[in-house]
Amino acid sequence: MDSDAELIGRSLKGDVDALVEVLDRHEVAVGSYLARRAGRDAAEDLLGEVWVAAFESRWSYDQSYPDARPWLYGVALNRLRHYWRSRPAEDPVPDMSGLATGWDPWSAVDSGMDTRAVLLPALTRLKPEEREVLRLVAWEDLTVADAARALGMPAGTARRLLHQARTALRTAPGVSALLKDRNNAKEAHR
Amino acid sequence: MTDEMDLISELKGAEPLRPEAYQRARAVLRAAIAEPGTVRVLGATTTEDTTMGTTPVQDKGFTPAAQRRRKIGPAGRVGIGTGVGVAAAAAIALVITSSSTGGAVPAVAKAPAATSVGTATASAPTAGSPLVTLAARIKADTQSTGDAWLVMSTQVDGTKTMQVIYALYTDSGAIYTGDSVNGIKYAIAHHQDQMSSGGYAPLVKAAILAATSSPAQGRTTMLEAAGDPLVGLSPAAQKKVWDKEQAAAQVIIKEKGGKAKPQPYSARAVQRQSDNRVWAYSTEALSAGDGNTLVRQGVLRLLSTISGVSVAPSTTNGKSTLTITAGPEVFNGDGSEVLTIDAKTGMLVKDVSYTPGIPNAYTTYQSSRVTTAHL
Repeated sequence: MDSDAELIGRSLKGDVDALVEVLDRHEVAVGSYLARRAGRDAAEDLLGEVWVAAFESRWSYDQSYPDARPWLYGVALNRLRHYWRSRPAEDPVPDMSGLATGWDPWSAVDSGMDTRAVLLPALTRLKPEEREVLRLVAWEDLTVADAARALGMPAGTARRLLHQARTALRTAPGVSALLKDRNNAKEAHR
Repeated sequence: MTDEMDLISELKGAEPLRPEAYQRARAVLRAAIAEPGTVRVLGATTTEDTTMGTTPVQDKGFTPAAQRRRKIGPAGRVGIGTGVGVAAAAAIALVITSSSTGGAVPAVAKAPAATSVGTATASAPTAGSPLVTLAARIKADTQSTGDAWLVMSTQVDGTKTMQVIYALYTDSGAIYTGDSVNGIKYAIAHHQDQMSSGGYAPLVKAAILAATSSPAQGRTTMLEAAGDPLVGLSPAAQKKVWDKEQAAAQVIIKEKGGKAKPQPYSARAVQRQSDNRVWAYSTEALSAGDGNTLVRQGVLRLLSTISGVSVAPSTTNGKSTLTITAGPEVFNGDGSEVLTIDAKTGMLVKDVSYTPGIPNAYTTYQSSRVTTAHL
């Protein structure tokens, strides 16, 4: 199977179907990324815009990277920023932590504690670039190096930002208490 | 051992996108690839750019486009419609100045008023009708290059590109569709001729028959192909079906909290509904069979029988076109639909549907002669 980079290379030589194949490979991942950041309805509108932006900027793809997914997250983040800026003033970004509304993720949570309520303030206190790296690693399962690619920053910078974010979260009052409860509960079940 | 990354991961859940959203996104991309720069990110598509329509597709999970064509049903419509039994069949022609063509021309020709022809009422196309004139002209038109028409249609609802469909119309009468040229090649390889298995085949075939039949027979054939419940019935039988439909519609209206009253049966009401349906089915057949000369001929003849349809010369992107407008009377006073066709070939250029209160829907059509073996 051709790598994403090879397909993008072919698309630059006129084989537009090659780019479509790349986007088909990653549509669920990018769609989920958009939904997590903007909610499903907005994500459904934005996905086509992300594809068009990817098509128009494919020349900028660094073909030394075989996997295009981090690059597509970067394109998607740019579209999200346009989207957030275009929202009317009376309809501000509802959640500074970037959590989409309209979806209950709590089925996986076995604790009675309100994890969301604890984490949201802590996330909000992080620097925006710390949150971006954190989300790409924790939610999109990227390596720190790939998160750096998506955000257009050196890998060392991304590593530092992730370290700062994790430290800040771990030591945030509510989060540290939550972690202690979780781990104590696990110990009790052993 | 749970750490902070585990906690953050617990918040990653998101409501999954619906399958049609992925299809729509691909359509937006296809449109951008086909015409770089025409799909505006975060922007609106102007009504001048695009049109509305449908093209059937069947393979690879493709489904026909959601349609905005409005059919007058039994659910409480108050229409205008031209009267059944009007004996005169005179064309009404107005003379206006067309700025696009730069001269005084017989610009607006209204379809003749309806005449009563048994249970299927129809207007007789007159020799002066621009639609009939064009239908006769394209009959003799032969293409010197290639062996098929390739038509790309881009459907937009409001500002959303819903889908881009490619259709290949071979000179031998076959129709293949797909979401790309590769999709068409797939359809050819798998013998998926829409004329033999497509959902719109009955309408397309009816349009072909209308190319050579009388106006009344053409209308009857089209309505029968679409399964119209009133066509071919005696007035007494029509009334029975009409009343039953009205009663069923009232149940739905009440469920939805509506107040529309049942419409009494009359020949006029039937005519009004018939005109609406002939428009809807004929234009569906046209968007499905646009590349077939006989389909275009038949549809033009069918449209010429509908009062409430006007025709005017126009210019689109420097090309001579005809603008065919189905006015509000065709849609029960609620909106309109405008087709623009090539004045020489009769092929669709654009189709715009206007409905009060909702964004316009458009489809643009781009046609070119191709050689199937070279696709």
